[in-house]
Amino acid sequence: MRIHVRRTGGFAGIERGAEVDTSGRPDARAWEALAEQAVADGHRSRPAGVPDGFSYEITVGGRTVYAADPRLTPEQRELISRVLKEGA
Amino acid sequence: MVPGMTTHGGLEPVFCTVVPPHVLDRVARSDDPALSGPARRTLVRDSELRSRRRVTSEFRLAAAPAAKAPSDQPLRTVFDAGHGTVLPGTKVRGEGEDAGQDATVNRAYAGLGATFEHFLKVYGRHSIDGDGLPLDATVHYDEDYNNAFWNGEQMVFGDGDGEIFVDFTSSIDVIGHELTHGVTQYTANLTYYGQPGALNESMSDVFGALIKQYTLSQTAAEADWLIGAELLAPNVTGRALRSMKAPSTAYDDDVLGKDPQPATMDDYVRTGRDNGGVHINSGIPNHAFYLAATALGGFAWEKAGQIWYDVLTGGELTERAFFTDFAKLTVKAARERFGDGGEEFQAVEKAWERVGVRIL
Repeated sequence: MRIHVRRTGGFAGIERGAEVDTSGRPDARAWEALAEQAVADGHRSRPAGVPDGFSYEITVGGRTVYAADPRLTPEQRELISRVLKEGA
Repeated sequence: MVPGMTTHGGLEPVFCTVVPPHVLDRVARSDDPALSGPARRTLVRDSELRSRRRVTSEFRLAAAPAAKAPSDQPLRTVFDAGHGTVLPGTKVRGEGEDAGQDATVNRAYAGLGATFEHFLKVYGRHSIDGDGLPLDATVHYDEDYNNAFWNGEQMVFGDGDGEIFVDFTSSIDVIGHELTHGVTQYTANLTYYGQPGALNESMSDVFGALIKQYTLSQTAAEADWLIGAELLAPNVTGRALRSMKAPSTAYDDDVLGKDPQPATMDDYVRTGRDNGGVHINSGIPNHAFYLAATALGGFAWEKAGQIWYDVLTGGELTERAFFTDFAKLTVKAARERFGDGGEEFQAVEKAWERVGVRIL
């Protein structure tokens, strides 16, 4: 399963994106459970953010949802943080 | 100050809640939890509504004369999120308390003070709502957090990851930028998307830059016109995050990429990302302000800044204003404040012409 996160906006207005492919990973099931929960709580269209807040696009298995700071669920926050840190 | 331009005791935007936000805010700080709890929840809900820009039915009415004139002293509180994401976090410094060991807390406190002073001394504005609203800031938000934002009721600052950005309290213009989002929210309330969103961003860059220049006593010619010059980590190739003098030249880095800001309408960027490019296309009104301010010379807040402030707070700028609407109002404000025959309105008119914004 491919998990892609794109972050836009923020004070700097600089875009970042990263992807994690869970296939073959020993922790694939944990990633997938986290991703599914994050997507389940996502918005179907871009929510208007707060001034300078980050906006996110989370794509899991071809399905894209949206979220914005500071109103992220804990799962969304963890997924975004881990994908941007560990993903390529 | 032009009569009718003040925001306290005169015309003031009031949101469609029964209790005005500044009153709720006082109640929210009450020692009685039965009072403060509901008021606080209302404020949070209101600010969320405002930030989501779902409130479109704003109306204006004459505010009742304030029972007591707002203080000329700020009411600052700095909180520490302890690298978590719960706001506001633990109170670490209140108004009048001595500086502690944490330089981030001290910078935030000083930055709030500098911003309060600029708006009061230059424009006669008491805090961000014009009525002495307490100024709250949270530092050390989240881990390695590369951002700062205004959540509708307070400022939030990350520490940066140390690789791309350092502590977001490092640049005073960033602190001024966030607080100005509050001023905009309480005045023109520009919708945070597309052109009105880029104007909202530009207001924050303009007054953020002016607060820095005011603090350093710099003239328009002496100023660097950079936003976030102290924010870039040592290894990043660049001078700042944005340049009002020369948009598109602030940075060009392997990791960050290249500064995407246009200086003129020819290079306006159409995109759905970044709330419709609010941090990108703000380069155009930013550059117009720079051109007007440097053409007029002297301290930029005295003429160009005053004109921009008059438009932001004057009541004619609509939530969904485009660049051309804003430009037209700045020319009008320049005439009203400095006279019809003056160099001021000509400098403003010429600045918009040079960035390709037509005044219809």
